[in-house]
Amino acid sequence: MTASPLPAVEPTPVAAATPALEVDHVSRWYGNVVAVNDISFALGPGVTGLLGPNGAGKSTLLHLMAGLLAPSAGRVLVEGETAWRRPEMYRHIGLVPEREAVHSYLSGLEFARLNARLQGVADPDAAAARAIATVDLTDAADRAIGTYSKGMRQRAKLAGALVHEPTVLLLDEPFNGMDPRQRLHMMALLRSMAAAGRTILFSSHILEEVERLADSVLVVYAGRLAAAGDFRSIRRLMTDRPHTFTVRSSDDRRLASALLADPAVFGAELIDGRVLIRTADYDAFTRALPQVARASAVSLFEVAPTDDSLESVFSYLVRR
Amino acid sequence: MTVMAPLIEVTLRGMLGRRRTVLLVLLAGLPVLVALLIRVSGGRPDAERVLDTLVVRFVMALVALIVGTAVIGSEIDDGTAVYMMVKPIARWRIAVSKAIVAAGLTAVLVVPAVILTGILLGGRGDAMAVTSAFAVACLVGGSAYAVAFLALSVFTSRAFLIGLAYVLIWEGVLAGLLEGTKFLSIRQATLGVAAALGVDVPGDPLAPPMSVLVLAVVLVGGLLLASWRLARFEIRGGD
Repeated sequence: MTASPLPAVEPTPVAAATPALEVDHVSRWYGNVVAVNDISFALGPGVTGLLGPNGAGKSTLLHLMAGLLAPSAGRVLVEGETAWRRPEMYRHIGLVPEREAVHSYLSGLEFARLNARLQGVADPDAAAARAIATVDLTDAADRAIGTYSKGMRQRAKLAGALVHEPTVLLLDEPFNGMDPRQRLHMMALLRSMAAAGRTILFSSHILEEVERLADSVLVVYAGRLAAAGDFRSIRRLMTDRPHTFTVRSSDDRRLASALLADPAVFGAELIDGRVLIRTADYDAFTRALPQVARASAVSLFEVAPTDDSLESVFSYLVRR
Repeated sequence: MTVMAPLIEVTLRGMLGRRRTVLLVLLAGLPVLVALLIRVSGGRPDAERVLDTLVVRFVMALVALIVGTAVIGSEIDDGTAVYMMVKPIARWRIAVSKAIVAAGLTAVLVVPAVILTGILLGGRGDAMAVTSAFAVACLVGGSAYAVAFLALSVFTSRAFLIGLAYVLIWEGVLAGLLEGTKFLSIRQATLGVAAALGVDVPGDPLAPPMSVLVLAVVLVGGLLLASWRLARFEIRGGD
């Protein structure tokens, strides 16, 4: 990925060499609703995860990159050329949409072959067979897609997107409906394609999926780019943010006093029969808490993080 | 043509093999059934009247409406259109491929219905001449309807309802009452073509040159509008 380093709430400067995908101050709104708000980044070969909760604007962003939506402001470039209203661009792009709809009356092989013919591939039969084998769907290749499981449909869609060997692959929630084995196979496949020099961008609302596959990550929340860059740096940001815990113990008051003396804790208050604790250091606090409790002769009954939802993590990243 | 062939094939497969096919065949068979009933019951065979009232005013328009709004509209509605749109294909080729299927299916269903109905009923004059004239008129008129409804379906997801209102309310009622608006009716233009080919069409259809002009404008204009809209195609849904 050629995107900027952290902190990445600022728009990412575009790389000097022509990137495979370039999103330059792009916004998209529907009436008064802003779905994508002034987002900029540039991508080169590798796997990039587009992370964000449902409704964050991930699909809108992918559709803008796939030339299926016109930007309300800004521009999207694929291999240096505008994506909107330029069908020739699709020689470079493969898209796996999130929507499940596929021609249910076609077999997986027929679907791949149809895509190959529409792409103008020289030998559509060979290209389709190759793509079906690549996604490990050979055994079910002649069955109608209407009889496929959700995971098999996802693979059929991927086969259709791969027939012309695109340099840029856009995948919208590609792991939806896949079982763990299929998921691992798909991840290995995407990694190998990235290693071969392809630019791969996939969206997900599941942190673990992005963590396991992506070299780089774009975090989108409420239509804005909350962070972009190396996954480990973003993960650190997420871990190092202020955390809040509620603790129930045998003596909340004594525990709160003792914890306030710990450098990892910057706030403690008694609320509804519990201690609400604020810490800036997740790891240090979780290590210190049992020691402080033992030293104070307090028994811990319950320790619960209050803001560990992905939603709150994204919200924090945007507020930074 | 190489990219149009798979488009035509997949559209045809999508259109056939569904409940829609049964509905279309039943609809196209209706005038034949009526003609048969007239024949069996010993009623007065009047090919012009049945072909005008039942085929041109009803069956042809409805068949073209169902087919025209489905060839691309149903793919946009169910989301499968995206696989066609993310291909390096000029949008006019997509519009023309879909129009070939829509007009072709309409013709395949309506023209045999006209011929069978005409044969069963005969006509006041030369039975085969009347039937042939209506067959040609329906071939052209049905294609114009199909392309018009195809273009409509690229602009709105309510194409079927709007098309139905056009056929039943505009053409069925208003175009007959408002004399100067006949040129806005595909049905009137179709009847004008039949009249030009020697059929004694009931009422006062459009003049033959105007009929040909109207149908040509609908065919070419519909294709241009559909191509224009497809070039600006935006996907629905997503977050």
